[in-house]
Amino acid sequence: MALSTESNPMRWPAGPLEIALREKTKGFTAEKAEVLRNWLDPASLGILQGTPVNCLVVSWASGLAADADQQKALKPLIEKGKQTGLSFVGVIENDANKAAALAAARSAGLSAVAMEGKAPADAGIPVIPRDAAAQMSWGADSRVLSISDGIWPGIPQDVNQVGGPTNLPWVDSNGAVLQIARAMAPGKGVWIEFDPPQQTTALTADAYMLGVADPASYGARWVVSLDDGLRADLSAKKQPAMDSWKKIAGMMAFFEEHKEARTYEPMGPLAVISNFAGDDWQRGEEAINLLPRIRQLYQVIARSRAEGASFEGLQAIYYIDPEAPGAALREKLIAFAKGGGILFVPSKWPNPEGPPATAEAYLLFNLHTLGKGRLAVCKEEQPDTYDSVADIQNIISHRNDQIRLYNAPSMNFFYQASPQAGNGMIQLLNYSRRPASDGPLFYVKKQHRLARLVSPELASAVELQWNPQEAGGSELPLPKISVYGAVELEN
Amino acid sequence: MKDELTRREMLLGAGALLTLPVFPAWGRAAVTAPTARVSVGRCMNYGPEVLPTLATMFDQLGGLDRLVRGKTVAVKINMIGVRSQRLGTAPMEETFWTNPVVIGGVVHLLGKAGARRIRVVEGPWSSAETLEEVMYSMNWKPQDILSAADNVEFENTNYLGRGKTYSRLMVPGGGLIYPGYDLNHSYADCDVFVSLAKMKEHAATGVTLSMKCVYGSTPITIYGEGAGVDEPSIRPHGGRGGVFHFARRMPSKSAPQQIDMSLPKDAGYRIPRIVAELCTARPVHLAIIDGVKSATGAETNYGSRPQAAVNPGVLIAGTNCVATDAVAMAVMGYDPMAVRGTAPFASSDSMLQLGEGLGIGMRDMSRNEVVGVPVSQVVFSYSAVRDKILAAAAKKA
Repeated sequence: MALSTESNPMRWPAGPLEIALREKTKGFTAEKAEVLRNWLDPASLGILQGTPVNCLVVSWASGLAADADQQKALKPLIEKGKQTGLSFVGVIENDANKAAALAAARSAGLSAVAMEGKAPADAGIPVIPRDAAAQMSWGADSRVLSISDGIWPGIPQDVNQVGGPTNLPWVDSNGAVLQIARAMAPGKGVWIEFDPPQQTTALTADAYMLGVADPASYGARWVVSLDDGLRADLSAKKQPAMDSWKKIAGMMAFFEEHKEARTYEPMGPLAVISNFAGDDWQRGEEAINLLPRIRQLYQVIARSRAEGASFEGLQAIYYIDPEAPGAALREKLIAFAKGGGILFVPSKWPNPEGPPATAEAYLLFNLHTLGKGRLAVCKEEQPDTYDSVADIQNIISHRNDQIRLYNAPSMNFFYQASPQAGNGMIQLLNYSRRPASDGPLFYVKKQHRLARLVSPELASAVELQWNPQEAGGSELPLPKISVYGAVELEN
Repeated sequence: MKDELTRREMLLGAGALLTLPVFPAWGRAAVTAPTARVSVGRCMNYGPEVLPTLATMFDQLGGLDRLVRGKTVAVKINMIGVRSQRLGTAPMEETFWTNPVVIGGVVHLLGKAGARRIRVVEGPWSSAETLEEVMYSMNWKPQDILSAADNVEFENTNYLGRGKTYSRLMVPGGGLIYPGYDLNHSYADCDVFVSLAKMKEHAATGVTLSMKCVYGSTPITIYGEGAGVDEPSIRPHGGRGGVFHFARRMPSKSAPQQIDMSLPKDAGYRIPRIVAELCTARPVHLAIIDGVKSATGAETNYGSRPQAAVNPGVLIAGTNCVATDAVAMAVMGYDPMAVRGTAPFASSDSMLQLGEGLGIGMRDMSRNEVVGVPVSQVVFSYSAVRDKILAAAAKKA
């Protein structure tokens, strides 16, 4: 089966190379090695039947003596898998002999290989770029990209990190990286890799369900990776493990059933523009990480695409890179501000346009009047990112908030709109995986004809009741949500 | 905890403040604390009835004119906690925050009484946002308050704000925890100070009324968990718990420091004293308590506590914050003379008792004059609501 943007990948750790790689790690046992051998058995593919998983990612070459044995050992698994419609992607990493590994991959009939760095011109097989997000070749000639440094989503276990300056608990999410990926590589399939955390207690099914939902809600796919205990129990067909796997697969199926959401565009009054590369990566990624925690809706625009991007509907643009834009982009940004928008720029912005607006004093930005709008120049060369986004939100103003969320401290949400009909979708992720004491409550400025909640936690969609507010807008109380839900808004 | 009186407590006549289930007779200050008049008004909703009710109450207190004509008035409101954390679907202004209709009504009547300038002040949680922005984020209309009288402005007092320096307000007699406080200029640049509070219980201090409302005047840049060590930070970060509740750290060194480092690090000891001494450093000229709608159980949504949105339907006002809070406690079904170990002061000292000890006012209902609606007609037992919730939970279990 050919690899496509619709492929649903799963990491399939099995075979001698996997054992050789894991032998060097702490806590590796004979029992775990046995599981890795068991998963070589074509019969182990049985758990995939009826699930959305249609692509297995296997270790292929790592520059170890076990490379050749691995490729040989995988042969029966690959043959059986292909018969059932599975595609296979081989991971080539570390000091592997790339030429030999590619030749073996072609010979074995893999659909693609995944490897770091630039793909060899004569690979003769599709090559999926597999890199940390900050180093990703977004423009690579591949329909799929695989981000190798995703994080396990949830509330960090480190007790010192439960509360940030926003006073909402910090959450680990891949959302920022995936929004950047979408902006940098539009139309491409994005995979993201992260492994279950090493912990003494067994991970619950809802932890995995969040692992699926976090990337999937942003239009990407997790390369599903199960912990040793769960894989061992699945091999033994133990019922609790089978039930967990059913729930994980159910979450994947839910996103396949609602795949039209991948065509929806992220919406928000603020656009963040950066080239998201090199030294600019961290600043941009951190800003986008923080915006959901202060409940600021946003969209991401790649600097390389900004000249051709539409600024329609935006209230503000945060041009984040210290390097000034080229003349054409600067002209476009200034025109946006003159037309009534707010343009936030770094302190190095040369010769800020417009006279200072002395009436408005903010901690981190000096405002300039610019036509109908404003230019906001940062006062500091290396501003704290949280302070920056907090001040930006203060200057943009809440008075035109389209959506607000209450009673959901451990949740992130974002809003998307369909390209044509003007329908919307609010996606809601609960990183604590426990419903709060009170159900979430949305304020929506523009009441739609219909609002309904869809969630894998519900037997069927629930129509929500609008509660019009005297001061304008409507509120939508939601039932409690443990992991994921989406509010579909129809006009 | 300390069993002995500190020298300052002795000097201030604050009595034995801990561990004693029954308070000894108050010293000098208790005897000299002023008596006051407190007005109670019935008001079931935040509709047009709010303004005439407030007007009647202020008239019963002798009129606002004599207090505010030609003066700059600071009105401290209450916007505690994480603004996105409601109690069920009830908006914050109907549970934990001073309601904007009451704020607007008070501002209007202050303006009508001749106030020269009215500055509405508050330090919303960990934020440098303008108060207007905080209000917008709650779907309020801040312009309704700004236009309720002439020369109305807002100031977020979590940080320096529009001031150039912090204002130092010293505690007469030297203080119980701190000898003085560095506050946003708004608390010094006013002739009249109004505490416009919500009628609530408090997880650590039993109740939070007009006295406790003043606690939020302290800038986070100095007294917050993220305050600067030597100098105030530019921007507020965190809450006041680390400094005030538990003394895990000290305020910025630029501010007056704790008078005795061996003082207990117990919120039930510290907060009532800080509140009481703040009310002497920054005296409250007019105390107003919004008990029209509120919440029981705590000052904000704790999630795990038996809490409910309630409708006591009452407004309370007085020119003495201790006396006004005493009446509010009686309305809430509590004995204003209660001491540590007795509801609502299960694990804290009574800030009213401490305020009385500092000579602010009297909590003994018989020593104050209550006008308007008799307290007996507006009693709304907060503990009965809690008992009902607990009983329902027990039945369910």
